[in-house]
Amino acid sequence: MKVPKIQCVCGFGCGSSLMLRMAIDDILKKHDLEADTFCGDVGTCLSNPCDVIFISRELAERIVDRADVPVRIIENFMDSSEVEEKVLEYMNSLN
Amino acid sequence: MEELVRTDNIASQVEVFDWKDAIRKAGQILIDTGDIKEAYIEDMIESVNTLGPYMVIAKGFALAHAAPCEAVLHNAVSLINLKNGVDFGSRNDPVNVVMCLACTDRQSHMEKIQKIAMRLMEEGTIERLAECKTDKELYEVFNKIKENE
Repeated sequence: MKVPKIQCVCGFGCGSSLMLRMAIDDILKKHDLEADTFCGDVGTCLSNPCDVIFISRELAERIVDRADVPVRIIENFMDSSEVEEKVLEYMNSLN
Repeated sequence: MEELVRTDNIASQVEVFDWKDAIRKAGQILIDTGDIKEAYIEDMIESVNTLGPYMVIAKGFALAHAAPCEAVLHNAVSLINLKNGVDFGSRNDPVNVVMCLACTDRQSHMEKIQKIAMRLMEEGTIERLAECKTDKELYEVFNKIKENE
């Protein structure tokens, strides 16, 4: 199976998105799942090739209507159980 | 133990009157330490004005930051907790802990942020940071000095 590319998005692609990426990487590792994660900013994220976008609710509103890939909303980037649930749900949807 | 945030970059029980003031007070620390210029504070506030309160990335916690720019002289972080929480207009309000993050580029700070993220993800960290009464306590909780006590 192709390794999914997960894009984590915030305003600039270097602050909170990086925090989210760390949280997602942590969950992937914990469950022995393979995915490529990278950060993007809300202005350009739709032109970056990826299979799914993880993003905060406020920023999701700006892209959700134009996105060609699934957009998954994370309310609390530092809540491991929320990140875990949403990452696993996405990964399971690929099977 | 690795020091994630230096003593000089921490302030506890800071009094602020709104979210902008909270960002200004967290940012002022980095002006005082010579890591950023005033313009970066305005960038952070403008980011919330244009993009919304997405920086409130966890319950009670705001990660104030803006894009890397010339107003950032060195990679740096500051951490404050607030005497009284303020609303950013987020579902994670009220915010009691504000971290200001300044980066000179998109890459060089990754390792540090990773460690900070791991700390923040540990259950109860943000609540404990919110309760600290002194700078010393805030420093110790964040850098986890009393880990095994």
